[in-house]
Parts: sequence; C-alpha cells; structure tokens
Amino acid sequence: MDEKKLINDDNIARVRDLLESMEKGQENEAREILDDLTSIREASLYQEVGKLTRELHDAIGAFGMDDRITNLAEHDIPDARERLQYVITKTDDAANKTLTAVEASIPLCDEAESQASELSERWNKFTSKQLSADEFRSLTKDVSSFFSTLTSSSQSVKASLNEVLMAQDFQDLTGQIIKKVITLVDDVEGNLVNLVKLAGLPEPQSKIPKKDEEYLAGPVVPGVDTGDVVSGQDEVDDLLSSLGF
Amino acid sequence: MKILIVDDFSTMRRIIKNLLRDLGFTNTEEADDGLTALPMLQAGKYDLLVTDWNMPGMQGIDLLKNVRADESLAALPVLMVTAEQKKEQIVEAAQAGVNGYIVKPFTAQTLQEKLEKIFERIG
Repeated sequence: MDEKKLINDDNIARVRDLLESMEKGQENEAREILDDLTSIREASLYQEVGKLTRELHDAIGAFGMDDRITNLAEHDIPDARERLQYVITKTDDAANKTLTAVEASIPLCDEAESQASELSERWNKFTSKQLSADEFRSLTKDVSSFFSTLTSSSQSVKASLNEVLMAQDFQDLTGQIIKKVITLVDDVEGNLVNLVKLAGLPEPQSKIPKKDEEYLAGPVVPGVDTGDVVSGQDEVDDLLSSLGF
Repeated sequence: MKILIVDDFSTMRRIIKNLLRDLGFTNTEEADDGLTALPMLQAGKYDLLVTDWNMPGMQGIDLLKNVRADESLAALPVLMVTAEQKKEQIVEAAQAGVNGYIVKPFTAQTLQEKLEKIFERIG
C-alpha cells in the first residue's frame, strides 16, 4: 500500500498553519485545518478496512465457488457409503454361497467314503475266498449300486465346486469399488488440507492419528498396525502362557 | 456335548459350526450377540461357549464376565475366537477367566488344539 508518510513538508506546513491560526484566534480556520489533518489518519484506516473486506470477500468466494466440496459432502460420501455397503453384501453373498456348497458336498463325500470302505472290506473277503455265493451276489449288487451313487454324487460335488468357483466373482467388483472409494478418500483429504490452508491454520504434520482408547482394535492389518498388538496365534499363546495359562 | 456359538456374522458361525462338526461336535446352537446368548446359556445346559468379542448389543468380553458372575454358569468353559489382537485385550480376557483365546483368521487345527487343551484341563 502506498501510504504517504505522515511527516512531510506538506503536513509540517499545515501544522504550522494550524498553530498560527490558533494563536491568531481564527477559530474557523483552525477547525478546518484540524479536520484536514485528521482525515489523513482516516484515509489509511478506510484503506485497511477495504483491504480486509476484499480478502474476506475472496475467501467467501473461494468457499462458495468450490463446488467440489459441496459435491463431496452431498453426493460423493453418501455414494461411497452405499458402495461400501454393496461390498459387504457381495462378500456376504459369496461367503454364504461357498458355505452352502461346502455343506452340501461334505455329506456326499462322507457317504462315498464309508460305502467304499465297507465294500472294500467285503471285496477283500472275496479275494481271500471267504465269501459265500450268496454273499458274493449281494456284493456285486451293492457294488453296482455304489457305482451309480458315486456317479450322481460326483456330479453334485462338481456342481457345488462350480458354485464355489462362481462365488468368487465378487473379488473383481469389490476391488473396483474399493479402489474408487480410496480415490474419494484422497480427494476429501486434499480438499480438507486446502480448507485448513484457507483458514490460515498450520498444515497438520503428524500422520499418526490419535486413537480412542475405548475403541476396539479389530483385525490387525499388516504394515498398518503397529504397537501393542500380537501378530498371530503363537504370540497369543506365548502371552497367555506368560500369564500362567 | 452341547456347544453355543456366538458371533454377529452368520458366515463365521457357519464356519465354526462346520469345523466343530468335523471334530465330532454335532450338537451346536447359535446366537448373534451376548444379549441373545446369555438367556440361552441360562436356559439350556451347554458344555462349551465359543464367542466372538466385537458384537453389537453385548460384546463377547461382557458375555464372559456375565457368565463368570452367574453362579450356575461360572464353571462353563469359554473359548474366545476374535479378531481383537491388542495385548491388553488378551490380558483382559484372561483376567476375566477365558479358557482359550483364538485370533482370526484361524485354522481348523488351532481350533482342535485349543478345544483339546480346554477339555484336558477340565478332565
């Protein structure tokens, strides 16, 4: 700001004039000169207020003009919440489909296993010639029925395995969604940092968040969680045995 | 041998249920948090409680404390299966009287070992 210096020839001359007019008892003239001199101060005050007003106006403008922030709050974040909810639904579906397929297959395998071992016992008796003709006839009948059971249960197990295979299709979708949400989080972070700058606060330096002590730690994420956590069952066992377990 | 499995995620309950069945424990029932589990425990005769920690309603650690505080349930063996891996939490569970502590993700073998250890102690 090119504020004129208070002490200059012009002003000194005016102060002299003021003194002179006062000594001469020229009331009106003295008052006029005094008003003139005061206005020098006022002018610079108005200038300063003007400057502040302009800055405030710019800041408010920057706030309002940045549609991105409004968009983030009104649209992107609720959108991300729904997308993450969809991730939960998809992974839940996949886990349930897989479990159902496994639960359907295990009894078939159990059945095949026990039938095979029972037949094998009788077959061994036959090869060591311990089976009567009637028993052999019954064995051949059971073997042939076992073949057809095994054929159909193998088909069922194969169908279940296919179900398990197809249930993995969530990975592609959830991966894409989570990547999108990570981009959004980056965006939000960038905008928050800009806001902090706009507010004139120092940029936060520490990347370590304060942790709420009451909050449950949850699953440990390798490379993210450090500190007072165990990294697996062995460490849990060690800790417990150190406590006398 | 009647076992109550408590976890808020049905998939985890199913996994534990299947693993237990594979180990020969076929008589299992399920609850989705401590609030549902506690009256079930008080009403039916269970021989083992397998519980998660982090659940809405009543958390596993509070369920454990409630079990220990209840005269008729105080001796019930409790196995905790949880993702909570903070040392102070494990210590807290131990002090509350847990009989075994398994961290997720876990294997069928770990489950078998811990169960054997629990039943060995009980005799």
